[in-house]
Amino acid sequence: MSRRVASQHPGPILILVDGAEVIALPGEMLASALLAADKPVFRNDLEGKARGMFCNMGTCGECFVTVEVPGRPARRLRACLIPVEPGMKVQRG
Amino acid sequence: MSGMFDLAIVGGGPAGQAAAEIACAAGLSVVMLDEQPRMGGQILRQPPRSLKVRDWLPGVTYRDLKAQLHRAEALDGLDWRGGVSVLGLFPRPDGLRLLASGRDGRQILEARHVLVAAGCYDMPVAFPGWTLPGVMSAGGVQAFIKSQQIVPGSRFVLSGTHPLQLLVADQLRKAGAEVAAVHFAQSMAAMAGQVLRDPLLPLGHPRPFRDAAAAFANLRRAGVPVRFGQRLVRARGSERLEAAEFADGTTIACDVLATCYGFLPQADLLRQAGCAMQRCARTGGFAAKVDRWQCTSIAGLGAAGETTGVAGAEVALREGRLAAIGVLLSDGLLSESEAEGRAAPIRRELGSLQRFADLLARIADPREAIAGLADDATILCRCEDVTRGALIRAISATAGPEDASALKLVSRAGMGVCQGRSCEHAVRALLAEHGAAPGSGFTARFPARPVAIADLID
Repeated sequence: MSRRVASQHPGPILILVDGAEVIALPGEMLASALLAADKPVFRNDLEGKARGMFCNMGTCGECFVTVEVPGRPARRLRACLIPVEPGMKVQRG
Repeated sequence: MSGMFDLAIVGGGPAGQAAAEIACAAGLSVVMLDEQPRMGGQILRQPPRSLKVRDWLPGVTYRDLKAQLHRAEALDGLDWRGGVSVLGLFPRPDGLRLLASGRDGRQILEARHVLVAAGCYDMPVAFPGWTLPGVMSAGGVQAFIKSQQIVPGSRFVLSGTHPLQLLVADQLRKAGAEVAAVHFAQSMAAMAGQVLRDPLLPLGHPRPFRDAAAAFANLRRAGVPVRFGQRLVRARGSERLEAAEFADGTTIACDVLATCYGFLPQADLLRQAGCAMQRCARTGGFAAKVDRWQCTSIAGLGAAGETTGVAGAEVALREGRLAAIGVLLSDGLLSESEAEGRAAPIRRELGSLQRFADLLARIADPREAIAGLADDATILCRCEDVTRGALIRAISATAGPEDASALKLVSRAGMGVCQGRSCEHAVRALLAEHGAAPGSGFTARFPARPVAIADLID
């Protein structure tokens, strides 16, 4: 189970991950919010096996999720490079 | 389009910052692009401004690098563009064109000079179970602590051949994580043997060695087992990682296994542009060949830092300085003798730093530790789910593929979103093992980073 190390931060925001509310900190990356919410599985591979974070620096592409923010079309983005935004809707898989 | 820059720098790490400082001081128009929202590179990957972190990256190792970062962030003439992925570099008669994409779609820039200082990434090493959630690269784990103030698990095992894992383990421990073990595949004697080949060298106060020794001492004091000659063979678990298994049968329960076998240059852009490259013998991957002013084989295109061979931040920032001095020389802003005069002390420092970097690379040599780790059911290409067995079948087929690019076409290995960054070195090694010529690897294709097709059509 991942956890946040104490730091000063503004009030948390809510994002939706597969329809469920997840608490995130403004400015943190989507991957961090997913791990902190104990959601380490980002997708399933061709055999249906679980996959998650690997490189955390935009290089491997394992953290692709579908992201929708108000006023923009849904996109496939690397969760390790995308800061969370209020109202963000995320679909894993 | 936003006019012609004098210099475009790809990568906001120590090399790029050093180059920007010199180029901006000489009055050049400079743009810097990086995928991260803030400048720093992986070594100084910054937390978001909204998180106030007390005592961020303490210690002497980071002190000078942080000072340079603060100077670079304050540069007046620097057009900083974070959150932007450079997808391709295209030589033009009067400079180079860069195609990039960010949250607001695509960007096309032109620059008379381009410096690629794109850093490196953790060598991805395939072994049974390595695709389980919870198996991560050590650099990735470290970035969660540095920049996100997240401890990405509760019980950690670090395993590999590179001494950086001592630092990561110590940072994890300080952040309150339980570190169950740090395992080196090589024996202590093998590591010491490398040092003894050049016994006076480590006495020259190189930071990487001092830092590794300090982290080692901290871990021992804290009761974290650091063992040598412990070769990782398997990750166990079903939906997520449950344990790491070693060659002697030892199994250690953990929810994160961070692997640390060394680093590969981020060289896609240069390969795509057609620069002359050289293979990195120990880790695989390719580094840019550069001249004494960090110029690649393509006019106007330079490379500095890990992109030219992984040697650490202290080497990178000096190469960045040389690259910028070279730009000033080629623009006629410095005479030959002025440029040589400014470069001389930098070159002297680079000479000794490079010897330490070579020693570290010898100590961390992953080849013995990873040979034979993957079995036929192990996925080598994580993007397209291509196993070692499927690749062997493709290689062994009548008139089997002759090189990595041909194997890619018949197997799909290397065809996914990572553009082969994760599997290329393993595919090349497998070809060599089966008597084929691995050649120069996969032909580098546009885009260097994934992008929505809609972003490319305007």
